Amino acid sequence: MLSEKEQSILSIRNLNIWYGDKQILNSLSFDIQQQQVTAFIGPTNSGKSTLVRCINRLNDFVPNFKSTGEILFKGTLLGASTDTTALRKQIGMVFRKPTLFRCSIYENVAYGARISGASRSTSLDGIVEKNLRKIGLWSEVENILDETPEQLSTGQQQLLCVARALVVEPEVLIFDEPCGELDPIETVKIERLVRDLADDYTLIFATNKRRQAARVSDVAGFLYSGELVEFGATERLFTNPQDNRTEQYVTGRLG
Amino acid sequence: MNLYKNFYVMNAMSTRAERKQKIVLPSTPFFTLGIAAGIAVIPISNALKKTDATNIQVVSPNALSMLLNDLYIVLSVSLLAILLGIVCAFYLEEWLPKTNWVRRFIESHVAVLTGIPSVLYGILAISIFLSYAGTLKVINGAPAAQDTGARPFQRHTTLFLGEGLIFILMVMPVTIKTTQEALRSVATPVREAAYALGASQWQVLTRHVVPIAFTRMLAAGCRAMARAFATAALLIGTYIWHYTAETDGMSSRFLLFLGAALFLSVCSSTLVEIHASIYNSDSA
Ligand SMILES: Nc1ncnc2c1ncn2[C@@H]1O[C@H](COP(=O)(O)OP(=O)(O)OP(=O)(O)O)[C@@H](O)[C@H]1O
Ligand SMILES: [Mg+2]
Repeated sequence: MLSEKEQSILSIRNLNIWYGDKQILNSLSFDIQQQQVTAFIGPTNSGKSTLVRCINRLNDFVPNFKSTGEILFKGTLLGASTDTTALRKQIGMVFRKPTLFRCSIYENVAYGARISGASRSTSLDGIVEKNLRKIGLWSEVENILDETPEQLSTGQQQLLCVARALVVEPEVLIFDEPCGELDPIETVKIERLVRDLADDYTLIFATNKRRQAARVSDVAGFLYSGELVEFGATERLFTNPQDNRTEQYVTGRLG
Repeated sequence: MNLYKNFYVMNAMSTRAERKQKIVLPSTPFFTLGIAAGIAVIPISNALKKTDATNIQVVSPNALSMLLNDLYIVLSVSLLAILLGIVCAFYLEEWLPKTNWVRRFIESHVAVLTGIPSVLYGILAISIFLSYAGTLKVINGAPAAQDTGARPFQRHTTLFLGEGLIFILMVMPVTIKTTQEALRSVATPVREAAYALGASQWQVLTRHVVPIAFTRMLAAGCRAMARAFATAALLIGTYIWHYTAETDGMSSRFLLFLGAALFLSVCSSTLVEIHASIYNSDSA
């Protein structure tokens, strides 16, 4: 029992979220284990983004945001006094739309190291190359590092966003519908990358494509209008759902 | 039709707190500016009393240079007001939540003050000038006795403070409003991407918000200064036209200030256009 608790890197207890008077998430509780891909599936507006943005505290910036419940990260309760900047360095995020900064490809990737105070003396070149290789984009951008990322395809840009997030050396990496804007070939690349990254990182993956969740995740949760209907091993959730609504959703009759 | 709809919307705002948020705070400028207008009546009526022909007198070159010195000080004050306005806009936009009542109070006043045509400020400035610059007058080329005492100096201070206040009122709201708009134009995804990488609020500000908003902030400054210069030109113009003699140097200053106002207005609009053409491709 205790050892199991030690393994879970993130524990969420009775999480309720409101935007203004509107309740978005309804008493969620679950644990996320280390070095696994945990997917959240659910139809549009079911609250997937809201949920994952709570974990790295991006919702703090949303006016009228209110929450109750507990989020424990590596056994520490997150609260008002949490150093959110340090937390976000441990919990990275890749968004639906690749948002690269208005600087060169090199500087985009090096960003995380720069804001942590990396100066010339540290080998930024090495960091950039290592992370670009990790996501398999090195050979494609090797010669255009000093140019702007605008010329890259959306899929390449999204991969660059992943590299940029990896430079910060997070333990957890959140993907919020990373393939929402990508074509099928690029989607496959991202999915493969997510599987590869699971060896070193704990991944959280929000998507509204159920089969994508089935492909990439070890554990999956089904969110339906703010309620975590079911949470468990992906295999079981898709083949033997316990809840009627989950069954309807995974078979495509709901949502 | 619409009226009824609004009526129902008003009814729907049931709680006192909501009514305070939505109606009371935005309408405070009515009261504060009403009081300000009441105070402004004093110099205006003073000035009106003085505009009879017997009062038109020759002014010593000494007084001329004093006025000009004043104007330059006043213009530096407005430059300071621009900086202050930018800081204020940053504070309102980046630190205070939208619902904060201080922010709403200031924003509603800023909205009203920017809406006032600068000619109105100009009239007020001229009135103050005409009613308090009287002690600088010299009759028949010889300095009047009261020119050197403590009393004239005090009146001179009133003049300076009055004009300074008008320039601040004219410049600061425009700067605050335009800077806030510039800050708001920095897209949320850019900020969120930076925060998600562990950037601090200060880093987001210096690395993303300021560089993107800079052109528009510069435009804001130009626009505000243009307003100040235009009013200063108006003041000098009044001076030339009201006091008929000893106007050497004044016409050239008048033209200088007028030209500066025009130049800065053009700069401001051009900067906004440049900004739009650079960042339009980004907003998609
Ligand atoms: N900033 C906000 N203010 C108010 N309501 C919001 C805000 N962001 C999201 N919502 C609402 O919260 C609900 C959940 O939205 P959320 O973005 O979490 O859904 P989602 O599952 O991620 O949907 P999608 O698949 O479209 O990304 C929606 O009803 C949405 O309208
Ligand atoms: Mg979403």
